[in-house]
Amino acid sequence: MWLLLLIYACLLISFAGLGWRIYKYASLPVHLRWELYPVAHEIGKPYGGSYLEDEGWWRRPRKINLLGEFTVFLREIIFFREYFHGNRRFWSFVYPFHLGLFLLAAWAVMLLIGAILALNGLTVSAAAADFWLQFTYYLTLISGIAAFILGVFGTVGLLFKRSLDEDLRNYTAPIDYCNLVGILLIFVTGLLFWIIEDQSFCMARGFVQGLLSFKPATAGPLMTGNIVLSVLFLAYMPFTRMVHYVAKYFTYHKVRWDDEPNTRGSKLEGKLKKLLAQSESWSAPHIQPGKSWSEQAAGSGAADDKEAPK
Amino acid sequence: MKKKISIKDIGRQEGQLVEIRPEDLVPLPYPYDQPGSEPGMKQLTAEQKQKYISNLDGVSAIGLKRPETREEEEEFVTKFLSGLKKLLSKKNNWTFLQPLMLSLENCAKCQNCSDACPVYTESGRQEIYRPTYRAEVLRRIIRKHLRKEGNLLSKFTGSDIDLNYTTIARLAELAYRCTLCRRCAQSCPIGVDNGLITHEIRKIFSQEMGIAPREIHESGTVKQLKTGSSTGTTPKALQSFISFIEGEIEEKTGKPIKLPMDKEGADILLMHNTGEFISWPENIAAFAIIFEAAGIDWTLSSKLMGYDAVNYGVWYDDMQFSRIAVRHMQAARDLKVNRVLLGECGHAHKAMLVIADRVLTGDLNIPRESAIPLLEDIVLNGKIRLDGSRNNFPVTLHDPCNLVRLSGIVEPQRRILRKICPDFREMEPHGVDNYCCGGGSGFAVMDSNNFSDWRSAVSGRMKLRQILNAFQDVIRPDIHKYVCAPCSNCKGQIRDLFSYYNVSEKCGIHYGGLVELIVNAMVDIKKPFINWEAK
Repeated sequence: MWLLLLIYACLLISFAGLGWRIYKYASLPVHLRWELYPVAHEIGKPYGGSYLEDEGWWRRPRKINLLGEFTVFLREIIFFREYFHGNRRFWSFVYPFHLGLFLLAAWAVMLLIGAILALNGLTVSAAAADFWLQFTYYLTLISGIAAFILGVFGTVGLLFKRSLDEDLRNYTAPIDYCNLVGILLIFVTGLLFWIIEDQSFCMARGFVQGLLSFKPATAGPLMTGNIVLSVLFLAYMPFTRMVHYVAKYFTYHKVRWDDEPNTRGSKLEGKLKKLLAQSESWSAPHIQPGKSWSEQAAGSGAADDKEAPK
Repeated sequence: MKKKISIKDIGRQEGQLVEIRPEDLVPLPYPYDQPGSEPGMKQLTAEQKQKYISNLDGVSAIGLKRPETREEEEEFVTKFLSGLKKLLSKKNNWTFLQPLMLSLENCAKCQNCSDACPVYTESGRQEIYRPTYRAEVLRRIIRKHLRKEGNLLSKFTGSDIDLNYTTIARLAELAYRCTLCRRCAQSCPIGVDNGLITHEIRKIFSQEMGIAPREIHESGTVKQLKTGSSTGTTPKALQSFISFIEGEIEEKTGKPIKLPMDKEGADILLMHNTGEFISWPENIAAFAIIFEAAGIDWTLSSKLMGYDAVNYGVWYDDMQFSRIAVRHMQAARDLKVNRVLLGECGHAHKAMLVIADRVLTGDLNIPRESAIPLLEDIVLNGKIRLDGSRNNFPVTLHDPCNLVRLSGIVEPQRRILRKICPDFREMEPHGVDNYCCGGGSGFAVMDSNNFSDWRSAVSGRMKLRQILNAFQDVIRPDIHKYVCAPCSNCKGQIRDLFSYYNVSEKCGIHYGGLVELIVNAMVDIKKPFINWEAK
């Protein structure tokens, strides 16, 4: 029972932590434009052009290609193209490492699906008569095994790379090694419990079933170890920079690709007017403390700046 | 053998952190590949070293004076921390807080950005120039000295750093060893922007401590707000430049073209970088010739701030930036024009078209465009008669970062060059992957102490390499070659770079803008517009 309680608690902390992180970034004020080209939603400009290339762009309605944004983002997440082009050696470890993590998440989802099916009287197995039950069985098996193998390979590679490559070592703290070792233990215990305790992941599926029905189910020592490590990691991760996958949404969609023009009377202009009406308190001699941003902008900053020009 | 430098070394009290030695720099191509072909970088005199802080790399960009007492040192550190707190607050830094927090909290320290940085790579991989170095210094100061992580915890989390006068003074200098080209940001898989972090560090020094390079603050934005231009050109002085340019146009083309001034209700207010009037008046003249020939309804402004498109605030200070942006638009509003067009000035494009977009509201939000798409329309749609064979010399294009990677204006200038220059050749890489000229983020106008040598030898090195490589097959000095640089600051940097390495004499390479090439190809202009002797 203690294990179930630990899992519920950790999942709760993890979701709360992720929610807090998302809220934290989403609630920051709209910023000045700082886009970086190529911007993925531009239409017909694959070389990185913008609507500013079009004479009289402001006379025409703005068109954006959200599918383009989605495709580029997805391609980056799935293939890690920036690493592939920028640092192939690093990519050869960082890619399997992340792929291992993605597959681990996919494995957990497949177990969840299998458990829900089981609760509804459908048994996921290799011998099931129904194609979809068989498919669920094999997908669970493949995603789990691939996650553990890729994860072990990638994490070991990253540990070596970070400790042997001077460029990386200089910027790697003890906590980074600890995080990697922690993740490695998750993959290793996973791999061992698959080999030794649960080659068909039936026990794991049964455990998830127990989790859903609040009934403790059987778990071998390796599986228990794997679960404990995994949920502790989930609870810890949102409070570290390992949660950069959340940040990535914002850095791409809200910074790099945020080229929304400000038009008169728009919602955006309304937000900006409120921000410009805020006072600020910078202390340099050319800034008059206590004035609003608009007042500061209207003044020249000179000491004899008594009246703001209209 | 270069010394190994760690993040913590920035707070080391004694000595200079690194030394820039010619043998560490990446070798240049022919004809600079021979021993002795590299001009030596000017060293600071003993007196300058005594007076200014130069213990980062032996270079002084901002002319930071040494404090005289311990109290002054402590006050310096305290002020920095106070500015840092403001930088992280919604009230004081709404302008960039979201991108800043995202970049501060999510770097995986994978160093994928390092190879994207020309300052880092060309310097022979000086650790202090690595894009992540200064960002990491700031992160550590935040964690250890603002969020008060204890000694043991900071060692474990990698936030260990000494906070003293030396750390902050070196960081101030280090903020001016990055051209804000944001090539590093482009290469980051997470989207972390070390260029932005540099920009924000500069803001702490300027907005809280009143520290910024003289050339971009006192002689830059402050002068512009007072006189109307960072060059000190007053509306009255502008008139004499205009008369001179009109005389030049008549002499070169035989056409008595008048530059329209303060024409109310014109379709277009054309704004140039005033540096063009002084250093490259042929660029202003070329715009006038083209617009006149194409029948464009345009005007210049003689109103205060209406004739200088520059906005140095974009590099270091949001307040100065906003003040200038607002005044630019006040000048346009007073003339009741339909739109503002920007001449060949890269940072003015980014400042006015992109960043100021969220500062200008109501009737100050007047449509703003680059002049390049209009030029493209004129050239490609036959609105003036052109003969490309008049530009029968090798031409390459320098992409100003502010125009391409930061504003997305990439192809119109290329389509023009392909049409009017039969021997147009690209630099590699180009477009949004271009390299900075080395004069970005204010560097091109900064020449204090020995900084101008540093920007030629280090930050401009990659650009020189690209230019030389583009012309290797015609590198002989008797063959005229043209680097088209549609940006005033880039031209200033290329001018200094060419002078430092004596490029025009050794290789026959000259530089200029885009419009000069268009006018040079105009059938109606009898004499060649490009004067190689003057270049």
